[in-house]
Amino acid sequence: MNSSKITLDLILERLAEDAEKAQQRVSKASEILQDQLSFELGQTPYEIVYEEDRVKVKHYSRNENAENKLKVPLLIVYALINRETMLDLQPDRSVVKTFLEGGIDLYMVDWGYPKRKDRFLTIDDHVNGYMNNIVDFIRKKNNIPQINLMGICMGGTFSVMYSALHPEKIKNLITTVTPSSFDTDKGLLHIWMKDLDVDRMVRTFGNIPGDLMNLGFLLLNPARLMIDKYVGFMENMDKKEFVENFVRMERWIFDSPDVPGETFRQFVEDCYKNNLLIQSKMFLDGKRIDLKKLTMPLLNFFGEYDHLVPPTACNQLSKAVGSGDVEDVNLETGHIGIYVSSKFQKLFAPKIVQWLKDRDKEDVAASKTDLARPAVRKKSAKEGKKFKIDKNGQSGTVQAI
Amino acid sequence: MTEEDKQSPVKEPSVFPWLQTALDMWLKMAKATPPSPDNALGTPTAIQNRFTKQLDTNLNLLKSFSRMMSEPESAPAMANSFIALPEILFKISKSGFDAALQIQNHLIDKAGKIGKSTEAYKFDNLDQEVFEALNNVYEKELRQYFKIPPLGPARFYQERFNEMLDKYNLFETMLAEFLSVLYLPVEKSFKVFQEKLQQMAEEGNLPKETKESYAIWIKILEGHYINLFKSREYTDVLHRMLSQLEDFIIIRNKTMEDFLQLFPIVTDQDVDDLYKEFYLLKKRVNKLEKQLDISPNTLTIVK
Repeated sequence: MNSSKITLDLILERLAEDAEKAQQRVSKASEILQDQLSFELGQTPYEIVYEEDRVKVKHYSRNENAENKLKVPLLIVYALINRETMLDLQPDRSVVKTFLEGGIDLYMVDWGYPKRKDRFLTIDDHVNGYMNNIVDFIRKKNNIPQINLMGICMGGTFSVMYSALHPEKIKNLITTVTPSSFDTDKGLLHIWMKDLDVDRMVRTFGNIPGDLMNLGFLLLNPARLMIDKYVGFMENMDKKEFVENFVRMERWIFDSPDVPGETFRQFVEDCYKNNLLIQSKMFLDGKRIDLKKLTMPLLNFFGEYDHLVPPTACNQLSKAVGSGDVEDVNLETGHIGIYVSSKFQKLFAPKIVQWLKDRDKEDVAASKTDLARPAVRKKSAKEGKKFKIDKNGQSGTVQAI
Repeated sequence: MTEEDKQSPVKEPSVFPWLQTALDMWLKMAKATPPSPDNALGTPTAIQNRFTKQLDTNLNLLKSFSRMMSEPESAPAMANSFIALPEILFKISKSGFDAALQIQNHLIDKAGKIGKSTEAYKFDNLDQEVFEALNNVYEKELRQYFKIPPLGPARFYQERFNEMLDKYNLFETMLAEFLSVLYLPVEKSFKVFQEKLQQMAEEGNLPKETKESYAIWIKILEGHYINLFKSREYTDVLHRMLSQLEDFIIIRNKTMEDFLQLFPIVTDQDVDDLYKEFYLLKKRVNKLEKQLDISPNTLTIVK
């Protein structure tokens, strides 16, 4: 018992030593917090080129001076949870900006804020309805038969469904932190969803409230998300740039639209509970989603430390698809770190730009020499590549799939 | 007893002297009521208006009751009622005492188990007896009052209101249990943290900075939460809490709809029905448009 008393005394002594520093920090922080702060999200200019109900499409103007501009535009489909502004969080951490500088003609879906009238919208309405109309609009606008598609989280799952149902419209598919195999106990969401009475939940709430989901996400790691995060803020609140970035992130995290009830019900039942997608047993509007029909090149990113969508939920996709050109990239970061961490900013978006450019070149070469498809496409999925990239940017082929 | 005697309560010996005094006062007040304009017309029926008539009837009823209670043969019955009163009060309070005792017993039980049940990083058998006790007390002693069948034309609304109160109470109890489960890792992490510091102190390896100690604690806490969240017990409590919340929200909305029916306002149910019809209609139109290969009228192409 004596030693524990000593421990406590020592802790108190250290606390007393820190008190003066803390006082100075608080004093400076009060000046900063009262100063004019810049924490706006989505600063890169865009124009709305398409609207349907609550859904909008943003079109970003690319850098026309970029080398090797891509001919085929890229459409990004974000999840229905949180907002697509995460991809353009701030000027020095913007996936959007990197894409534009890389010469990508970029379109991005803004799902908007579902209202009560949207509660009956199903996954089919999102995939075969809104997404299909948007893809057709971009194809028509650019007079091209196919576009590139990139999906994020749930938006990635929608993109997988879409690409399997409409393979003729998609040239290349990029999935990032995309759950496709749900039968895993590595992620807490996967554990909790198994026993969720989703029918009653939808009956009660109609649309699933964003605030309720926020609470659920906070409960995934309360020690870090409800305590440590704010302790970190208190320790750094005398640094203006830190405060601005922190507030910006907070604004994004708690900007949570509701999720249409029927879409949520189907996602939980068909995906989380019955794991139908990866088995090619899921149906949309009576049509089976056969992953073998997903024959376009596939680049599949996931985070080693992702607690929302663990690697095991993502890395089964490459084996299940019919494409011969597949690549898994495992980044040593979490669910959001892939897009916003300053370290992975240098790895993630540039990798996508290069991957698309490689396939754009192949397409040009193929059309010039009248070849059917590039050789890489004829490889079986088993020969596909798998990369692991750590936070220092060191990469290497870990193993052949 | 003469007719005059019957009309003169003052003369009667009564066991309720306060009642006699009150009766006298109200009778005098009633008789002293100033004549109404009808009285001025001198009509015989206007002398006693409806109010004074009703008052008279009520006072006479009380007078009869008082007289009856004064009869010698009523004395044993009255004595019995005085004896029975404490017994009734005792019976009413007994159920309350029982409930309190039940809670206290469980608290004593729990106190005896302190230390036994807080095994670090283990959440297989959560110590939730107190909440079970609270729930039992509510189920056995209080819930019955919300289940008493209401009568009359407002029965349906009363029943629903009672159900709302019942569901709210159940949710509150469940929420308390859920929050206590969420607090368990904090409690356990402090215990492990202290043990760790003790061990470090013995090894002469104590953290020099407060930040280091904090980093150790937050890591311990995180580990405890991960273990808790993966446990079957936590998942059960979480789902039960969600179910109780949903039950309450459903009945609260229905009660609100009952209330809104009094006003010319559409309810959520009305709007949902309309939205569903609209949704199905729109879907049908989209399908027909595709079949006919005409551009969908629902979308707006801005550029």
